[in-house]
Amino acid sequence: MNFISLVSVEFRKLKRSKILFILLAATVILWIPSILNVQLNFHMEAEGISPEHNFFIQGFMGMSWFMFPASMVVGTVLLSQTERSNKGILKMLALPIQRAALCLAKFIVLLVLAITQIIMMACMYYISAAICSAAQDYNFILPPIFVVKEIGLLFLSAIPMIAFFWMLSVCIQTPIFSVCIGLASIVPSVLMINTKLWFAYPMSYPFFVITAEYGKLAARLNTAQVELIPWIPIAFLITMICFGISCIRFGQTERR
Amino acid sequence: MSISLECIKLKRTGFFPALLCGGILAAAVPVLNMTIRWKTYVVVSGNPIQILLDANWQMMAMLNVLFIVAGTCLLYHTEYADNAIQKIKSLPVRESSVFFGKAILTIFMSTLMLAIEAGAITFCAYKWFEIQNTFWSELCKSFAYAFWLMLPCIVLSLLISQSCKNMWISLGMGVIFVFTATMLPPNNFILSLFPFAAPFQIFMNADMTWSMRFVCATAAELIVLGLAELILIRVRRWGA
Repeated sequence: MNFISLVSVEFRKLKRSKILFILLAATVILWIPSILNVQLNFHMEAEGISPEHNFFIQGFMGMSWFMFPASMVVGTVLLSQTERSNKGILKMLALPIQRAALCLAKFIVLLVLAITQIIMMACMYYISAAICSAAQDYNFILPPIFVVKEIGLLFLSAIPMIAFFWMLSVCIQTPIFSVCIGLASIVPSVLMINTKLWFAYPMSYPFFVITAEYGKLAARLNTAQVELIPWIPIAFLITMICFGISCIRFGQTERR
Repeated sequence: MSISLECIKLKRTGFFPALLCGGILAAAVPVLNMTIRWKTYVVVSGNPIQILLDANWQMMAMLNVLFIVAGTCLLYHTEYADNAIQKIKSLPVRESSVFFGKAILTIFMSTLMLAIEAGAITFCAYKWFEIQNTFWSELCKSFAYAFWLMLPCIVLSLLISQSCKNMWISLGMGVIFVFTATMLPPNNFILSLFPFAAPFQIFMNADMTWSMRFVCATAAELIVLGLAELILIRVRRWGA
């Protein structure tokens, strides 16, 4: 079995999982308050940000702070529980496949779930912006290049966080602990982005990046900006360590 | 009988230590906040409990609700995994009493969580403020209020976990509801009655009418959720 067919098998397992419904529901709920309070965007011009940029960035800040990381924790539960229920993992481990390849295939599925939610979020943004543009007689729709750049940044910054959540779900067999640690680690990210050590906390990356973008768009707002050094090397190191541990630990308990 | 049975079932699931750790984590929030930013808060005039809760309760309540959601998901996950629920159904035990047993256990653990948090608030008040004569009664009122407002959240998350066979769906719904709760304006009475949003409310001694309205509305919510549970069990039995 080559790697591509292994990944496609992993996707087939999620066919009836209803995970897309959960991801979509989260993005729909996120934009409802933005549509209802659209007039507030006009009051933010004092900060030097245009209403359309404010509309976009506020929605994405809401997503990157809690909803997106929490959805990824749910994604890890989905990936681990589909295998553990009915001992599916034992059948997978009996196949002539390397454990690391299986772990990587599942991680790719998780990354695809992340991309899917971000794309859903962008689509919902365009729908909401169109509704608000019609309601307020003001163009809230931003050019696609800008939106793609922002969602690309959001996805790239989320990879270390996703790797950390994946490591938790692989290493901790008791689902409640992996879920609780994952969810609890999201809550302090609001505090962490205000410290100088934000780069050591992968859960705060997506929120930090979007907040930094907010600072760039709002001329009179001073938010901490991304410093590529030491962020990139540390983020790379965290991702590699988390992914390495996941690959080593994957299926080890079941093999005993 | 059903409660002791539930305790045995949960022995190696990590339910008890996880919720205890949740309580300790939420209790650490005011202590850490005060250790780092005590200068900001000691100059504020007013009731120490009110100052501490205003500064930290949002984060503490969020941790409480998240741990309760994860805990309740696990309570029913242990039943659905390996089809244990079918064996339970064949026993001469009512399904509602199983639900009741799980609810009692979660309520007990959330009381413990709140007790740890009350301990942390007392510690902060003792260390950075002055403990006055009215402190203990204020503390009891605030945490009894928090406990009462948390009950609909516990019952609703148990209802969600009971209705969803897969843990990720109940957890996903719980997470979406918690997120929705964080977006609701806390000064809107009707919207704040949403069971996942109510635990974010703080007891306000100065505005007893506001607090009493929440207490009464929570009682009504509990009755409605209890009825919903009975209906859910009947519907599922007919559907089976």
